[in-house]
Amino acid sequence: MALAIVTAAASLSAQTAAREQLVRGRSLWDQRLSKSAIAALEAAARDRTTAAEAHEMLGRIYMFKGWQQENVFPGWHDEPSYRARALAELRAAVAADPARASAQEALHLAEGFAAAENVDPAPPRDEVKALDAKLESYRSAASAPITDIFAAIEARAKAQADPAPYFTGAQILIDRGELDRAIAMAERGLAASDRFIDENLSAYQMSGKSQGSYARGRATAADLIGWALFLKKDDAAAAAKLEEAARLSQSQDFVNQFHLGELARAQNAPERAREHYLNALSLSGGPPPLRQRATQALSAMPRRASDASFDAWLETELSRRRDERKAAALKSLVDRPLPKLTLTTVDGRPYDTSSLRGKVLLLNFFASW
Amino acid sequence: MPHLKTAYAKYQGDPNVAFLLISIDEDTARLQRYLTEMKFPFPVARAAAVDAQQVMRFDNIPSTFYVDRDGVVRYQIGGNESHGDSPARVSWFIDQLKSR
Repeated sequence: MALAIVTAAASLSAQTAAREQLVRGRSLWDQRLSKSAIAALEAAARDRTTAAEAHEMLGRIYMFKGWQQENVFPGWHDEPSYRARALAELRAAVAADPARASAQEALHLAEGFAAAENVDPAPPRDEVKALDAKLESYRSAASAPITDIFAAIEARAKAQADPAPYFTGAQILIDRGELDRAIAMAERGLAASDRFIDENLSAYQMSGKSQGSYARGRATAADLIGWALFLKKDDAAAAAKLEEAARLSQSQDFVNQFHLGELARAQNAPERAREHYLNALSLSGGPPPLRQRATQALSAMPRRASDASFDAWLETELSRRRDERKAAALKSLVDRPLPKLTLTTVDGRPYDTSSLRGKVLLLNFFASW
Repeated sequence: MPHLKTAYAKYQGDPNVAFLLISIDEDTARLQRYLTEMKFPFPVARAAAVDAQQVMRFDNIPSTFYVDRDGVVRYQIGGNESHGDSPARVSWFIDQLKSR
């Protein structure tokens, strides 16, 4: 009798734990923290009492991953390898509870996706859309109390774990002159960005895309911090951060190049400023007011007397840069697998590269002449 | 090149990082004199100049490639960098790739 009670109590506490995992998994998935959500739901799927719900939730996640996540976040791709798993999870959900209507519905939908040629990417959740709009509204609300802005950032970050609200928030804080708070906010964005990518790593993985995504978030953070430091008149620290952002974005971000131009101009380095403004304008994107400021800064700079009209000169400079960039992109090895190259030792015997595999590698080609 | 020696001090003994210098010299005696003088603490290999520049698609010498642990080239730096080849810059690139 005593034994039976102990067993019943143990199974009751297992059920509570399973239910907790289910709730946790669902909320983690709302935040798009995939890795943690899946781990929690897999745990919940092992308990009979929560199996149907957990399998359904897993099936819905895999459906999203397999068919609906293309470009939902910058750098994400559909993961076709999840499609069979989505169907398997949803079938398991229906098997665990044949009366479960929502699981049957999801299975029906997944079977439809499997038969369809194209599936539209998933739209953002309404809750997230509303919180984004709320945060955006503070860009033009100069008199809003700062605590309201912080609350809007926190609310949006809690609803979905991507770094966008921190970066938007940092920009709003910079515009209001709250520079130290902006730097702290950009740093939180950096941490959120790395975590978000870790949680969703496989969504980025198409011929080595994930490194690019880490770099994207880090570049945004470094640029925001650098710009805030520039506005704080700490030019040396600003230069270090803005240049870091340039390396991370491979000098291909309009806003960062514009910021480097502004820094160079303030440092009285017109040649460098000109290069950055021209680089910026040769890139697409960037808000129109900033593009206009870059053009104005350039037109105010002295040019050689022989130069044609400003517009003609600018057009020539920009198209030359675009051509150079195109040529460099076609030629560059960046984001491509290291090609095979025959190496020898210094005295001409074959060089064994097996010890280099799986390591971060610095290869320096040089000549002693 | 001395900046690579300085940068390497930080990674010597790190099993996840390797430096490899690849000479495209044709003159073996000259290369050997140079290596004796420089005493590099990391390995040095050789490749045929035309071959290396074609396969690795570089014009500038020196050219540096940073490769991640999956064997994908992530950064390619041609020539001496405009802001100087400081050891801090070298280790910044490596740390970016190591943190993944």
